[in-house]
Amino acid sequence: MKRRRSVVTTGRTARDAYSGPPRLGLRAPRTRPSPALEAARTESPAAPVAAARAAAPGEPGVDPSSVDLSVDLAPRRPGALVLQNPVLVASGTFGYGIEYGEVVDVERLGAICCKGTTLKPRAGNEPPRVTETPGGMLNSIGLQNPGVDAVIERYAPLWATWRVPVIVNVAGESIDDYVSVVRRLEGVPGITGIELNISCPNVGKGGLQFAVDRDAAASVTAAVRRATELPLIVKLSPNVTDIRPIARAIEDAGADAISAINTLSGMAIERRTGKPLLGNVYGGLSGPAVRPVGLRIVYEVAQVVDIPIVAIGGIASLDDALDYLAAGAVAVQVGTAIFADPEVPLRIADGLRRYCAERGLASHLPLVGTALPARPNRPSAKGVEYRP
Amino acid sequence: MRLLDAELVETREILPAQWLQRYRAPWLAAGARAGQFVHVRTPDYSGLVLRRPISINTIDRAAGEITLHFRIAGKGTELLASARPGDSVPMLGPLGRPFEVDPRTHHVLLIAGGVGIAGVRSLADESLEAGRQVTLLFGSASAAEVYPSSLLPDEVEYVVATEDGSLGQPGRVTELVPAYEAWADQAFACGPRPMLAALAHIASGRLERMGVARLGRKRGGGRPIPLGSAQARRRSWLQVSMEQHMGCAVGACLGCVVWGVEGPLRVCREGPVFAAEEIAWEEPA
Repeated sequence: MKRRRSVVTTGRTARDAYSGPPRLGLRAPRTRPSPALEAARTESPAAPVAAARAAAPGEPGVDPSSVDLSVDLAPRRPGALVLQNPVLVASGTFGYGIEYGEVVDVERLGAICCKGTTLKPRAGNEPPRVTETPGGMLNSIGLQNPGVDAVIERYAPLWATWRVPVIVNVAGESIDDYVSVVRRLEGVPGITGIELNISCPNVGKGGLQFAVDRDAAASVTAAVRRATELPLIVKLSPNVTDIRPIARAIEDAGADAISAINTLSGMAIERRTGKPLLGNVYGGLSGPAVRPVGLRIVYEVAQVVDIPIVAIGGIASLDDALDYLAAGAVAVQVGTAIFADPEVPLRIADGLRRYCAERGLASHLPLVGTALPARPNRPSAKGVEYRP
Repeated sequence: MRLLDAELVETREILPAQWLQRYRAPWLAAGARAGQFVHVRTPDYSGLVLRRPISINTIDRAAGEITLHFRIAGKGTELLASARPGDSVPMLGPLGRPFEVDPRTHHVLLIAGGVGIAGVRSLADESLEAGRQVTLLFGSASAAEVYPSSLLPDEVEYVVATEDGSLGQPGRVTELVPAYEAWADQAFACGPRPMLAALAHIASGRLERMGVARLGRKRGGGRPIPLGSAQARRRSWLQVSMEQHMGCAVGACLGCVVWGVEGPLRVCREGPVFAAEEIAWEEPA
């Protein structure tokens, strides 16, 4: 079947994921991995040298500095969003990149996704806004930000001096909002890409409503695509029944990449008073607790789209990042783990470099998608009919 | 602000479920000022994803040591209390903005509610060093939770109120304040939010009650001092150290916000010390 070039999602573009011929991949590793590589993956990291030998008999490990971790998140726009390594910092956990400047070498990150930015300034939700939960945390910041004009004025000049690309996370209440914000960001020095936040669970209007509906997600992506030439990443929400049609629609609407997942909607109780703990009652769950959900969603999305996937969700170590790469992501974002240890993203990047070197890999891309099945797998949402 | 390991030197339970720990941390002792805090990662990290913000209780610059005083409030503080001398504890700090004392101030009033003593304790040392007189008003539920006077410098005048009347003045610590408000040039408080709100209410009516004109330039004269600046805080009679659920502690996540009169304020960056006029207080009960 010929792929339509139109950005409007129709019944034919959003076809069933597990019928018909497999789609042509832009990325190579859509096949079953070699047994040797698989053996290397399952080997415990405690015995890396042994694993490297098993993986590549006779082939010595390469020098870590010669490993090329660079990754292109917008293959349709050559050179527009090439990262020096595949470890980004997730939106909302790294501010505007300056807050952690005293303790982290920001320039060595793959890229920075800044705090969600809206057209008008937003004061955010009622405090308390964060709380710790088993293996994770809840937040309901409510998109507090100074507005896009202030972001451009205060931070973009500094970003323009950095080697590390800054991806502005854009949020809004309506398609017009998104388009206005993106139009203002277009052409500003220091702004390398857009991450479209259509999945914030903590705001009343807008946000999540775009991420849970296929047509709405496609319309907002298409509208933003028309408004800008900047590389466009769309961030998906896990709070949906079946992620695949939404991901497919977003790809067809012209997104350069997909990032997944945003937080899961949750809540906490203040035991002393018996009332909801968070000022906003509901919050978004993040941290290691959501990692299996993120893995599942990346795995499902990777089977139905050809654009690069940036994984987010509970990544706190090299092992977590490797899991996500195996599930089909080409890059990862570290979020909540930064709060406990701001050096985690750089440690993952360095660890990945060593991991590749020990296995004689010149790049991390051969590790991508090793878990993906030869044929599209059954969906996780059983019994859910998804007819185009 | 730096991210380093501090070595635990001494740990003891000074009050029920309240611990005093002494750490060797030369970089903190050298740079920290009264009112600042550290973001502590607990030694056993299993299942916890956030650090714990803890006020710097005392600073010993000569020895390169600081002490932390905290109450066990959950899993993280429980693990921290179980740390043993010799353990190294990762700390991010010093963080936040310190108390600002007006150079003309001679009489310093400190007001502490319960474990809030940890927030103002180091200011007692700093003020005595600068030759000021210090009175500490301390309030707790009962005599069992009263901060031991042996842990305070001898020069501090220490006044205690307990809600059940088992030690000192019966009642709340805020009821002691009117007796000292005329004496105090500046007051610094740390404790539960209702206590701070009551103090802010007292502070807002203080000048009128005492029949004193507002000092300084005439109304409209000179450049206005922006609310929240160090200069504005130095001129404020009451400064409060506030707490909030915290995420990153460096100002990135916007999780630890309290409402100020001009919008949201991050406790970790604009605080934890605020002038009482900056905060949008609820009406005192």
